[in-house]
Amino acid sequence: MVKERTRLKRFTPVHRLWHLGLILIFMTLSVTGIAWMYFETPWGRGLANLFGGYLNVLEIHRIAGLIMMAGFTLHILYMIYRIDWKGFPGSLLGPDTLVFQWVDVKGFFAHLGWIFGLNKLPRFDRWSWWEKFDYWAVWWGLIIVGITGLMLYNPVLTSDYMPGWMLNVALWVHRIEAVLAMGHIFTIHFTVEHWRPSSFPFNAAMFDGTIALEEARHEHPEWVARLDKNGRLNEALVSPPPVPLRILYFLFGYSIIFLGLFLLVFAIANAALLTLF
Amino acid sequence: MSISRKIICLLGMLFVVLPAFGLATESPNEMAGTGYFRDQDTQPGVLEFYRQLPGGENGLWGMGPKRKVIRRSSFNKDAHNGVADFSPEVRCQKCHIPQTKDLHGLRMGITCVQCHRSQPVAGVYHYYSALNPIRRHAYVCAKCHDGATPSFASYMVHEPNPVASETRSTFPLFYYAVWVMLILAVGVFVFFLPYTALWWIREFIVKLKGRSNHG
Ligand code: HEM
Ligand code: HEM
Repeated sequence: MVKERTRLKRFTPVHRLWHLGLILIFMTLSVTGIAWMYFETPWGRGLANLFGGYLNVLEIHRIAGLIMMAGFTLHILYMIYRIDWKGFPGSLLGPDTLVFQWVDVKGFFAHLGWIFGLNKLPRFDRWSWWEKFDYWAVWWGLIIVGITGLMLYNPVLTSDYMPGWMLNVALWVHRIEAVLAMGHIFTIHFTVEHWRPSSFPFNAAMFDGTIALEEARHEHPEWVARLDKNGRLNEALVSPPPVPLRILYFLFGYSIIFLGLFLLVFAIANAALLTLF
Repeated sequence: MSISRKIICLLGMLFVVLPAFGLATESPNEMAGTGYFRDQDTQPGVLEFYRQLPGGENGLWGMGPKRKVIRRSSFNKDAHNGVADFSPEVRCQKCHIPQTKDLHGLRMGITCVQCHRSQPVAGVYHYYSALNPIRRHAYVCAKCHDGATPSFASYMVHEPNPVASETRSTFPLFYYAVWVMLILAVGVFVFFLPYTALWWIREFIVKLKGRSNHG
């Protein structure tokens, strides 16, 4: 029996691999970074001890940081490769790119209006404004946390190229951006992707690379209409992944979500024990 | 340092070196020295030498820490000379609370006298003090940080509160960088938390309505 092709391809295997890598490396950096930041509290020391003490935790954090920057560099190369240079710069615009455009401003206000019941849900194309925001937020985050993280990597070497007091600045900037990134992922990203009533309990799009056609008609109707018009809808349809894989995605996804929530809850609970200044 | 570690560091430094290149060539903060030379040895107690860190007031350097107030006692052989209720038996923390709130002490458990070494405790600018800027990188920092340079030693161990208004004049870059980052971070949450909550509620209402329409 042929399974029904009810799902629409949305992410390529490369996208899924990169998002998976991002999750793994981001969680490694979060756990080890938080352990060091909370090292003066029993909870932070406990976390650090899981990795064999503060020296190891920091070493893992540093190496994970370098891997993340390497992944980011590869991503930039991939992006340069994917740009349609013949049609440049016009090719940067249009519904298939992640570049912010006027439609996103309109989409933002229309979505806000919908939240307050003033108008109908806007008909998003392939990428809604918040999906673009999520993408570029990782960019700004990685640039800030990456530059400051590399400065802190070897402070003695760094201070050959700039005054040593730049390290005071770098640590604070690194810390605030890291807290922003973790706070955003563990509350807003998880809610928007997984806990909104329309995606609850789990949205596996970034894992299996597809979304339900029904859901796409609702959340990205312009995209589906465009595929349909160009006669490409049929080839983009696939059947759901096998059940064991879906269980695996769910279990993996929720372990990460629980890890994130664990860090979030304990970081907030222990925040009062931190001495910041 | 092993060779592979060195290569990793060098690769990593590319990100930092490129933007800092213009500064790097001009920087008196490289190995050259503190910039204080020996004048303070021949003229003990000359405060002006220590008002400004090496590097002058230009560009990025002008945004660095400035010593607005330098106490006379910082030049004394015994920094507590004349302090009425001082005795070697009291704990440093009794008077120096702000100085206990930084990473060296909190995370690494380093005690005051591991850096403020002499007995009696000398002022940091006393010309034989281990913490005199002319030698602190070698006598103090390098005990743990191999290869510490004068520039490295300009890291503020007792860093000021970055969000306090005094810091705007005593360490401008620190103040501005931290405020900009805080505004960015708080701004993101102030916008997205309520937005996401309202969005959730809207979808919930849609879902309820949808159910009652069908049932
Ligand atoms: C999203 C990614 C990252 C997160 C969430 C993160 C998180 C953190 C946190 C919470 C701290 C502790 C701050 C404190 O002491 O208060 C920290 C420190 C540190 N991070 Fe990251 N970090 C990230 C990326 C990176 C990268 C890319 C690098 C380097 C390549 C890096 C290198 C460091 C270093 C060297 C420290 C230690 C600073 C010190 O000596 O105290 N981090 N990080
Ligand atoms: C358990 C952890 C995570 C899960 C389950 C998850 C899930 C998802 C899903 C389902 C999407 C696709 C939404 C769609 O377009 O249909 C997505 C997109 C995205 N995720 Fe994650 N994510 C996780 C963690 C992270 C982390 C740690 C980061 C970054 C540090 C991140 C960054 C992104 C970005 C940039 C997008 C693209 C924007 C979008 O399409 O909404 N995610 N994620």
